Amino acid sequence: KPSREGAGVVLDAGIDKISITWKLSSTGSKKEAEFKTIKVKLCYAPPSQVDRPWRKTHDELFKDKTCPHKIVARPYDKTTQSIDWILERDIPTGTYFVRAYAVDEHDHEVAFGQSTNEAKTTSLFSVQAISGRHKSLDIASVCFSVFSVLALLVFFVNEKRKAKIEQSK
Amino acid sequence: MGDPTGEPGSSMHGVTGREQSFAFSVASPIVHTDKTAKFDLPVDTEHKATVFKLFSFSKPHMRTFHLSWISFSTCFVSTFAAAPLVPIIRENLNLTKQDIGNAGVASVSGSIFSRLVMGAVCDLLGPRYGCAFLVMLSAPTVFSMSFVSGAAGFITVRFMIGFCLATFVSCQYWMSTMFNSQIIGLVNGTAAGWGNMGGGITQLLMPIVYEIIRRAGASAFTAWRIAFFVPGWLHIIMGILVLTLGQDLPDGNRAALEKSGEVAKDKFGKIMWYAVTNYRTWIFVLLYGYSMGVELSTDNVIAEYFFDRFHLKLHTAGLIAACFGMANFFARPAGGWASDFSAKYFGMRGRLWTLWIIQTAGGLFCVWLGRANTLVTAVVAMVLFSLGAQAACGATFAIVPFVSRRALGIISGLTGAGGNFGSGLTQLIFFSTSHFTTEEGLTWMGVMIVACTFPVTLIHFPQWGSMFLPPSKDPVKSTEEHYYGSEWTEQEKEKNMHQGSLRFAKNAKSEGGRRVRSASTPPDNTPNNV
Repeated sequence: KPSREGAGVVLDAGIDKISITWKLSSTGSKKEAEFKTIKVKLCYAPPSQVDRPWRKTHDELFKDKTCPHKIVARPYDKTTQSIDWILERDIPTGTYFVRAYAVDEHDHEVAFGQSTNEAKTTSLFSVQAISGRHKSLDIASVCFSVFSVLALLVFFVNEKRKAKIEQSK
Repeated sequence: MGDPTGEPGSSMHGVTGREQSFAFSVASPIVHTDKTAKFDLPVDTEHKATVFKLFSFSKPHMRTFHLSWISFSTCFVSTFAAAPLVPIIRENLNLTKQDIGNAGVASVSGSIFSRLVMGAVCDLLGPRYGCAFLVMLSAPTVFSMSFVSGAAGFITVRFMIGFCLATFVSCQYWMSTMFNSQIIGLVNGTAAGWGNMGGGITQLLMPIVYEIIRRAGASAFTAWRIAFFVPGWLHIIMGILVLTLGQDLPDGNRAALEKSGEVAKDKFGKIMWYAVTNYRTWIFVLLYGYSMGVELSTDNVIAEYFFDRFHLKLHTAGLIAACFGMANFFARPAGGWASDFSAKYFGMRGRLWTLWIIQTAGGLFCVWLGRANTLVTAVVAMVLFSLGAQAACGATFAIVPFVSRRALGIISGLTGAGGNFGSGLTQLIFFSTSHFTTEEGLTWMGVMIVACTFPVTLIHFPQWGSMFLPPSKDPVKSTEEHYYGSEWTEQEKEKNMHQGSLRFAKNAKSEGGRRVRSASTPPDNTPNNV
């Protein structure tokens, strides 16, 4: 659950947190004995996958690119687990949900649960990425650009002046 | 034997990979060496070097060579600097596949126009200032990556950076003021090939710079912006070096150029007419779009492709992508050499077959690249594809000088622009939409290369033949003199304006192949005497 709720709220990467809680579902699981670790990941919802083949969902798990962002990995515990996670600064802008994969000792995923429904349409939240821009960077950029243009002009004018002096001799 | 007074710009033809395989020096007795001149290299009467000493920095000739190819290479580095960083940039700017594709198209489109303008700039200001102006005025465009915050900005900046690829023109022009026309082929080809390598160097350089900046503590979305400062600084450094260490002519700077202000010896309109009405020009424009063009397109997509398809780390993908561009170091000259070699036995027909075979092979390897499912096969296919495409570039410009003598500069320029145009078109069709996955795009690009190379079969020279047809049997039309003379009107011939073309025609007879060479006995049948 995001720290701020409401329609149209957009979370800021690097600033806002999400609160995640997970436990074994009430219907139980046949493979519970194999659960070794629980890996919680941040996943792209369908709107953020449109026109972006590098985030595509594949049936084959090792090809699947839906959930690239790791949140936390904890050893499996029967009790309810939760974490408050600050959205990291390299999370891109988009719509997301959370998924928890249960992996066995060979690191194979055997089960998972997610914060949204099967069609991935409910309980999605939006994140706004940092821009990556900095005032200091902008200033440095302008300085070097100006230097480049000025240096060129200075050379040019100087040489023209020298040529004129030569010619008048 | 050729025109030793090759005016600046007239030797633009020399963008071949290699016109004469062993032409490291001018052996002709007709080119008088000036023994009174005090240069490190032997020079002719215009003080242009007659020897190409690769590992020397002697002033002014070899120094010009190195300044020139390095500045050109720097522009390739900055034009394609975004490509290996796209996996990071696309997340920062929330780009879609279309945005990335459009930016790629934009990066090669700007120079279609700037290359055409650059010729005039070199005529007006000289190649030294032409190069320095372009390199230093485009430095701000590279730095402005720090301001980009969305797709529109990204596309615009890549478009503006792309203008600097016109240094190709200043590079070749500058070489022709410094090197004798008999070796200009090799010199220009090496300069062009090594310049193109910048597209490979950048795939390696940018991910490494990015990695270092990240480790120094910057976040991902800031680090890539800082990384762009490196190519930006290279622009400034090269610009200053060109201004301080370079000179326009062997004897000094522009002051001397005033004397030869007769730069426009021929009328631009006439030259343009002969360039445009020669159907071979347009076939080469198409062909180069599918050798150089696909090379540029691949520079833009290949790192991202390996990153996504084979789940590699950014710098590993960059390393593999770099191999593509770096192959230019020897592949382009090798293509020119292969053309020369086949011309020895089969003349122009050999050159045409060589070009067709190499470029078609490149296309087939491209198809294989698109279909490769494992990393190893993909890398092998990519390397073979790069050799094919780049050697084809060299082989193309081994033939272009023979298409026309009078309009050589413009035809070379049009062909070069065709390369960029082909690149833009290919990226637009295959790599900017969701219609094709990148691997499908590569496959279809390969098919298109094979299809668009087919028109080589249509290139026919009455004096030498074509791939499938022998030379004309007509006693008048089958001479080289007639072909090159037909570019001049009767009035112009009366004024003897066509003498240069006639001299060229005489030397071009070697393109008849072995039977012609054995029949005649001139000591040095080098075609690069323009």
